[in-house]
Order: sequence, then C-alpha cells, then structure tokens
Amino acid sequence: MGAIATIANRDLKSFFVSFKGSVTFCFLLLLMGIFFRSFAATFLEIQAQTLQTGGEAPKLSQLLTAIFQNLHFILLFIVPAITMSSFAEERKTQVDRLLQTAPISSIQIVMGKFFASAGVLGLVLMASIVYPLFLFKYGNPEIGPIVTSYLGIFLLMCAQVAFGIWVSSMVSHQFLAYLFTSFGLFLLLILAWVAPNISGGGASEEFVKYLAATPHLDNFFAGLISVADLGYFFAFIGLFLFFTNVAVDAKRWS
Amino acid sequence: MIEVVGLQKSFGNIVALSDISFKVAKGQIVGFLGANGAGKTTTMDILCGCIGADAGTAKIAGFEISEDPIEVKRKIGYLPDEPPLHREMQVGEFLTYAGKLHGLRGDRLTVRVADLIERLELGSNKKRLIGQLSKGYRQRVGLAQALIHDPEVLILDEPTEGLDPHQILQIREMIRGLKGHHTILFSSHILSEVESVCDQLIIVDKGKVVEQGTHNELILRLDGAREYHVRVRQGALALAEELKTDFGQLSRITVKEDEQLVSFMSKEGDEILDLVARRVLDRGYGLKELAGKSKKLEDVFFQITR
Repeated sequence: MGAIATIANRDLKSFFVSFKGSVTFCFLLLLMGIFFRSFAATFLEIQAQTLQTGGEAPKLSQLLTAIFQNLHFILLFIVPAITMSSFAEERKTQVDRLLQTAPISSIQIVMGKFFASAGVLGLVLMASIVYPLFLFKYGNPEIGPIVTSYLGIFLLMCAQVAFGIWVSSMVSHQFLAYLFTSFGLFLLLILAWVAPNISGGGASEEFVKYLAATPHLDNFFAGLISVADLGYFFAFIGLFLFFTNVAVDAKRWS
Repeated sequence: MIEVVGLQKSFGNIVALSDISFKVAKGQIVGFLGANGAGKTTTMDILCGCIGADAGTAKIAGFEISEDPIEVKRKIGYLPDEPPLHREMQVGEFLTYAGKLHGLRGDRLTVRVADLIERLELGSNKKRLIGQLSKGYRQRVGLAQALIHDPEVLILDEPTEGLDPHQILQIREMIRGLKGHHTILFSSHILSEVESVCDQLIIVDKGKVVEQGTHNELILRLDGAREYHVRVRQGALALAEELKTDFGQLSRITVKEDEQLVSFMSKEGDEILDLVARRVLDRGYGLKELAGKSKKLEDVFFQITR
C-alpha cells in the first residue's frame, strides 16, 4: 500500500505542477459550473411555469441527469488528457525505469497510476460540490439523488480512467493514447444508442446495452444505488486494471 | 555477487545477446567494455529487471532475477545511460520519492537523503528543479537515486556519457569513492575510463563476452602478438621487405619511410628483437632504436573485437 500511495501522490502533485494539469482542472470545473448554472436556470423556469399553468413539475433527477449526462460527453475529452501520460510519457522519456527497478510489483505501479488519475477527477468533483450547495441556498432539494449522482459520475470517471491508463500502457506516444482513449470512451457512450443497429435484437441487444456506461448511470441520477450498476462499474474498472497490469508486465518481461 | 550464465536476448530478428556469461566478486569495480551496440545496455537492463532474457540465468547476491525480481531489486541500484529523473521535481523531493519507492520511511529516509546530498555535493541545488540542473548535476542526482537504498550492487551504464571533462573526472572520483562498500558493474566504451576506474574488465562484442580478467591478465593473455618498432638510419623500406620475406613469424609489418620506422607484430616474445637487431646490423641499416611497444587496453580491445 505504501508504494501505491507514494506513486499516486507523486503523480497527483506532478499533474498540478504542469500547465496542462491546471488548465484541465479549471476547464472541467468551469464547464461543470456552466452546466449547473444553465440547467438550474431552465429547471427553475419550468418549475415556475408549471406552478402557473399546472401540470407535472420537473424532478430533481431530471436536472441531475441533464447536468451529468452533458458532463459525460465532456469527459470524453478530459479523461484522456489526464490518463494519456500515465505510462506513455514515462516510457518515452525512459523515466519508467525508476519504477521498473524499484522493489515493487506491476500491480502496485498500475494502482498508483490509477489512483493518481482518479484522484485528479475526484478533486474536481470535490471542488464542484459548491454548485449543488447553491441549490440548497435557493430551494430545498433532496440530498439523496445529489449524493448518488456524484457517486455515479465518480464511478464513471474511475471506469474511464481504468480504460485510459490501459491505452496509455499499450502505446508509446501520449498523443496516440489521447486519440485512442477518446475514441474508446465515445464508443462506450454511444453503445446504448446504437445497440439496435449493431445487434440482432433480443438478448444480444440487451447485452450490448448492458456493456454501455450510460444506462448504468440512470439509477444513480434517480437517487438509487443498485448492486447491478455497482457491479458493472467495479467489474469494468477491475477488468481494465487487470489488462493494464498484463500490458505493463508484458512490456517488462518482453 | 553477480553471476550471469548463458544470457540470450533477441529483439525480433536482431540478436542483441547470444551468450553472456560472467562473474563479479563482492566489492569489486568491474568495467563492462564494448563498442556501441555490443550488448552492454541490454545485459544491464536484464540484470536490473527492466527486460526479460530469452534464455540463461542472472543471479544477484544469490537471487535469480526472473524468480525473485523484488528481492534482486532490493540489492541493486541502477543508473541507466539516461538517468530516470522527474524534471518537474526538486532534487530533495525526488530523492525522498525514490527512497520511499525502496521502502525507506521516517528518520532513516531523511538521514539517507541528507547524507547523499552531502556526499554528492548537491546541497546548493537541493531546492532546485531537476529540469533546471546541468547535465553533470543531473547525473549526480541519478547516482544519488541509485544509491538511495544503499544497494549491495551498483550498475552504472555509461555514467560519464555526454559530460564535460571536468564533470567526467568528478563522477569517476565519486565512483572510485564507492569502491569496497558496493560491488559495481560499470559500462563504458571509453577505454581510458574503464582502465582508470575498474579492477576487472569484461569485454563484450556482438552480444558475447569475449574476455574477462584484470587489465594485466588480459594483456598477458594476449601478449603473444605484441607490437615492436625498429628505427634505422637508412633503408627502412628495404628492411621491411626483408622482414616480410625472411621472417615468417612476423605479421602486420608496416613502414613509415619519412621516419625510417618499421613496425611489426610477433608472437615469439622478446627474443625476436635479437634476430631483428642482428639483421639490421649485418645489412648496415644502422640501428637507432628497437623497442617493444607497451600494450595498452586499446590494443587488447581492438585485438579482441577486430
């Protein structure tokens, strides 16, 4: 555990030392702020209209879904920027030999890199807590769906990071890592929408839909935590961390 | 302390190592000598666990690298040809990080970092970013990183490469200062450097160990083909022709006519000087100088790897 924390801590600090890191952090935080501001304004507008005209008032889960699904789209560009240098850059500059010659296992290296990137995104989420706090200032929203939405989006981020560091461990240039990660995450995003077109319907369509990340977030945005959704994200993270470990080990002993 | 047997490694169709076997005793500084591409870095990378070998075994302090990689890495400090440094970190911060990777914590880590900063004269640069340091200082930080866990074995891959003459001398002095406490495998393609720093030499060529021993042992072993010079007052060209036709035991006979100097190689030992001197005097060439050239590491190296 010591080595994992050491690697994660160094990479996390190093991220914020770089210009790229600070810009990425601020950019994501700013976009989240814009989403909160604009969707909350729309939400309040619709709420006011329904009070006057009658009809069904908008639900908090709808607001959270709108905010976080849009954020999901932005993450396609942000997560690869964070994970691309995990392995690719160190391999290019041969700094990876520092870890390779230290008395630590591949899985410790992989976990250290994973926690560093997940930590960056976790810090963005922590900083963004200020946005939902405004909802409490002007209204009385349920806290449950907000907490579960945050949990859902953090699990999504972790899954994306696991995928991103796997790609970074496979290629030797961080630009390629960025491109492949973005493309992979985009496929994961649209899988649920294109499932009817790429599968023969029935069970295979359901299976393709299950692989997509988006449907697994809906419960979290509605304030529900299901074992199936948690299982999906943990399995996804575990699988890609395993792949990364295999790739790092294979490169070490090739 | 280091025992390598039959190491082989290929990258695709390119054979990097075909047969590397050698032993290094505890406390020695051993020079790993070879031309660029001879297989020095590949061997060192295998010893340090950066890459795996296709065949053969490599033991460090009794532990086999493929079986006990973690234990081997505890025993080894490695300075690759390009020091693995995080340029955005400060010197002290980086050494603390390297120490933590090797399991050092608390006071032990603080004391070790302070000690290395003092020994490698990095005190004035402790708070500077590594990326801002000169190459010589970066090399020192790399050396400090390799020494952070006080390893029994130190593997240095061309540690003076790219440094200016002053920095080269400093790094060599530092390496000499580590003798005794650490077993050091030191690679270089600079012959004079290996000669001045190392107790033993291992010469590699085309992925094979071609010789191993002390400087004197290698020279004695290969002294069968020592080089000699004979300087005459006149007729160096004619003398060279005579030596070629009448002295079959001589080889590589060359002549510098303007200096009236004839050089040749002989496996006969110094007795050949009597025969050549007699011939020079009998024919009236006029003997000015007759000498066996003292063999240098360069001669051994070129003779072996020719």
